[in-house]
Amino acid sequence: MADYDRRQGGRGGGGYNRKRRYRDDDESDHRPQRRRYNEPPLHVRIRKQLLTLAESPLRRWHEEIQTTAHMVVDNYDKEEVRTNFLELVPQIVVEQPLKTPFVAAVVLVANSLKPEVATDVLARIAPLTEEKIKLGEWRDVKLYLKLLACLQSCLEGDGLFPALEELFNRAVELQTSNSDDTIGTELVKIILLTIPYAMAAGSSQAQQKAADLMDKTDVIASEPHALQALIDPHHAEKGEDSPTANSSLIGMLQKQLQNEALNGWELKCLPRPWQMPLEEIELQEKMENAQKHPLPAIAIPETVITGPRPLFPEIYMSVYANQEVESVPPVSNVAASLIRDGLLDTINIMDFNRNVTARYLIDVDCYFADGTFVKRATPFDRLRDIDGGRSTWKPEDVAVDAVFSQLFQLPSPEHKLVYYHSVLTEACKLAPAAIAPSLGRAIRYAYHNIHQLDLELGYRFLDWFTHHLSNFGFMWKWTEWADDVDLPDIHPCKAFIIGALDKEIRLSFAQPPDEEIQPVIARIHAAALEQSIDPLVSSTDVFMTAICWVGSKSLSHVLACIERTKDRLLDVGAASEAARLQIITSVISYWSAQPGVAIVIIEKLLNYSIITPGAVIDWALVSGKAGPGGEALSKSWVFELVLNTVVKVTGRVRQVLTSGVADGAADTEVTAMRDLFKSMDDALVSWAEGTKDQMMDPAEPMDGLGGKRVELVQRWGERWLRVFRRRSAIEEAHMLATKQ
Amino acid sequence: MRGGFRNTVERLDRPSAYYLNRTILTNSGLQNNKKGRRNDRNNRDEKDGDTEMANNQQPEEPPEDPLRNATTLYVGNLSFYTTEEQVYDLFSKCGEIKRLIMGLDRFNKTPCGFCFVEYYTHQDALDCLKYLGGTKLDERIIRTDLDPGFEEGRQYGRGKSGGQVRDEYRDDFDEGRGGLGRAIQQTERLRESEKNRDSEHEMREDYGRLR
Repeated sequence: MADYDRRQGGRGGGGYNRKRRYRDDDESDHRPQRRRYNEPPLHVRIRKQLLTLAESPLRRWHEEIQTTAHMVVDNYDKEEVRTNFLELVPQIVVEQPLKTPFVAAVVLVANSLKPEVATDVLARIAPLTEEKIKLGEWRDVKLYLKLLACLQSCLEGDGLFPALEELFNRAVELQTSNSDDTIGTELVKIILLTIPYAMAAGSSQAQQKAADLMDKTDVIASEPHALQALIDPHHAEKGEDSPTANSSLIGMLQKQLQNEALNGWELKCLPRPWQMPLEEIELQEKMENAQKHPLPAIAIPETVITGPRPLFPEIYMSVYANQEVESVPPVSNVAASLIRDGLLDTINIMDFNRNVTARYLIDVDCYFADGTFVKRATPFDRLRDIDGGRSTWKPEDVAVDAVFSQLFQLPSPEHKLVYYHSVLTEACKLAPAAIAPSLGRAIRYAYHNIHQLDLELGYRFLDWFTHHLSNFGFMWKWTEWADDVDLPDIHPCKAFIIGALDKEIRLSFAQPPDEEIQPVIARIHAAALEQSIDPLVSSTDVFMTAICWVGSKSLSHVLACIERTKDRLLDVGAASEAARLQIITSVISYWSAQPGVAIVIIEKLLNYSIITPGAVIDWALVSGKAGPGGEALSKSWVFELVLNTVVKVTGRVRQVLTSGVADGAADTEVTAMRDLFKSMDDALVSWAEGTKDQMMDPAEPMDGLGGKRVELVQRWGERWLRVFRRRSAIEEAHMLATKQ
Repeated sequence: MRGGFRNTVERLDRPSAYYLNRTILTNSGLQNNKKGRRNDRNNRDEKDGDTEMANNQQPEEPPEDPLRNATTLYVGNLSFYTTEEQVYDLFSKCGEIKRLIMGLDRFNKTPCGFCFVEYYTHQDALDCLKYLGGTKLDERIIRTDLDPGFEEGRQYGRGKSGGQVRDEYRDDFDEGRGGLGRAIQQTERLRESEKNRDSEHEMREDYGRLR
């Protein structure tokens, strides 16, 4: 446990745990006295200095960098110092990439004093880059290249550019052989995100090299990718364009870099900690005349692979688009891409300490050039008073925007959605006055665009919103939506409000329904026979309702009850589709006031195979039992129920495929999954096209929609259809990739 | 200690210092003997309902990490009024829950402020530590810790009055956990007759029974 800077470091972060902290304190009290007064060893001090580079809002970059570089150089002959330094440098750049330019500056200063340091760093980074290329770990490749780009000024000849060109050649090969290829797209993205750092660090001689390279990338970057429409976060209504229709990330980057090239690569937002202030002119000269090094070769294997994470083209999205004053960089500015990229890497890498992630979000202005942002916590209303020419970008908006881009990332972000929830929660705790108003404007954006958000993202927004509020005493200006309460329930905004209230109740308190039933199975049987209804179905209702009633005390009661009666339930479920539907109906109508509980019970019934996924789909989308005339489609809990069911099925298929069970088993599961998607498609198409009988049912009330009911239901049908067609397509793609 | 690799910042998906201390004590034959830090040989073979791991291991074998594949989490600092449904709703955000065991008061059979959540996978449990530990449920900051999992015979282990030990002598008024510590409440009621009370320092909060 002798982990010095873990306890003392500026980024402790784990401090929420009261008990843990006390225990640590106790422990340090037991340490031998002498250790307390000893200075930590040199390599530990260097480690701490490197890890805290640029963290201070005082922005004493040059002092920090010079002190650290001198400490390294002066003690470079010590084995421990050298080894630790050469291990830590590559680790910082892949774990805390916003610090890369500062780490590079340390290396550049050190190079002017002792060229051996840079030689060793390059000799360390090049093979690591090569290895990551081999593994298809493209983010790490990008992050090592970023460090090398920042070291461009100490590289011989064209520096990093030949390596980037070779990477591009591979991208071209991939794209020519397959237009659906996503690795080539990823490679071009990496190249385009690396060029700016090389330009900010290198001399103007590189301009021609950059221009040549960008001429080549243009073909790939400007062509919309085949999968792009599938993962657009917006789902425009008929006859309208999605606000993000032209926001392919690499397409945008290409244009932004072309703009920069026209302006002589100003790259105003990037920090240049290797440029020393005037009083350090001597050091600056020394750095300029320091020894240059050849870049060790970085071999690219014949075949490159996708790596551990599936690759998709990316779309740039901002929840602060189209405001009267720009509070985030506009899509025409390269700062939009560069700052977002740095933040996203940080967010996704640091999932093992959300407190540190949140700290980075709050401190984002520390890692970019002076004047990139307005002062922290500047109210939005004050932005319009800022004089011409100066930045109006709010650091909080830029940070929150980055997290939302992950919540709204299709098909799915890198980590569980709840991680991104937790990051926003911590950021809000660290700087409530700064973050809360930004969140408020993000919420308003999502709410007002909910009709054209992809339906799955609408559900994610609902889930985040309710979880977030539960961490902050359920405080929200509900009154601003008061007028929307009068809208019909199937209006997207009203459906959101209903869904939000349901979820809040689930997280805040729950009481079992107070209901008394007296199951008299025999009597029901007789009555059913008289009316020639399926007696099994009606007795199933009584039976299932009885289970719910007996188990209504708590979830574990009902689950234990299902466990005890599972044989009988299995028989019932096996009898007929009608019986399976009845089981679902009974559970859901018993828990109609708390659909969340019903969803858990249904999930367990699926686990026991008492009901089938098909029955759930049928119940929700076809039977009309979840709401008349297509109203079911507007209910967020119905979406949750269906989504959970589909995720269960697809998760099972993936599990079977990766575990390499005998082909027969996998085939059965795959066929079942395809059938499920097919039946969903059939059901949803008829809602989307308005051919469903129930939709035209004259008995359905028009509930004040002035005849717009049919259109609204059709729109819900389209939105559902898009979500599950995408899921189906992604599973097919996954199966294809697994087979290869 | 686990693994040689060390990140540049602390990880939140490690067992707590509480658990590690316990493990170290247990492995060195000092379990449940916090007062006297001596290697009491007689203690080694004493079975105690509250020692669940490694106490029969040979000292020369490297102890296998009982949390390496743990899928269960201890969740503490719950309100007595928080329901299973609420726990389910929050913790499902990290993965499907296999089993949820509410810690119940030994006498009243009502929730006494902790529970165990079992997932299907180790990764879900780790994610839960990282993303939910230290956030709020029912207006309270909850505490999560990896746990080796439920075994028969690991029940009980409550304070004298049936609830968790931490609720015995607590001198702050916590509305969600029955007001003042129960022992203190009792002391106040019986101030006259109250005499030397055995102070119980065992802090372990342990499994509840299912019903």
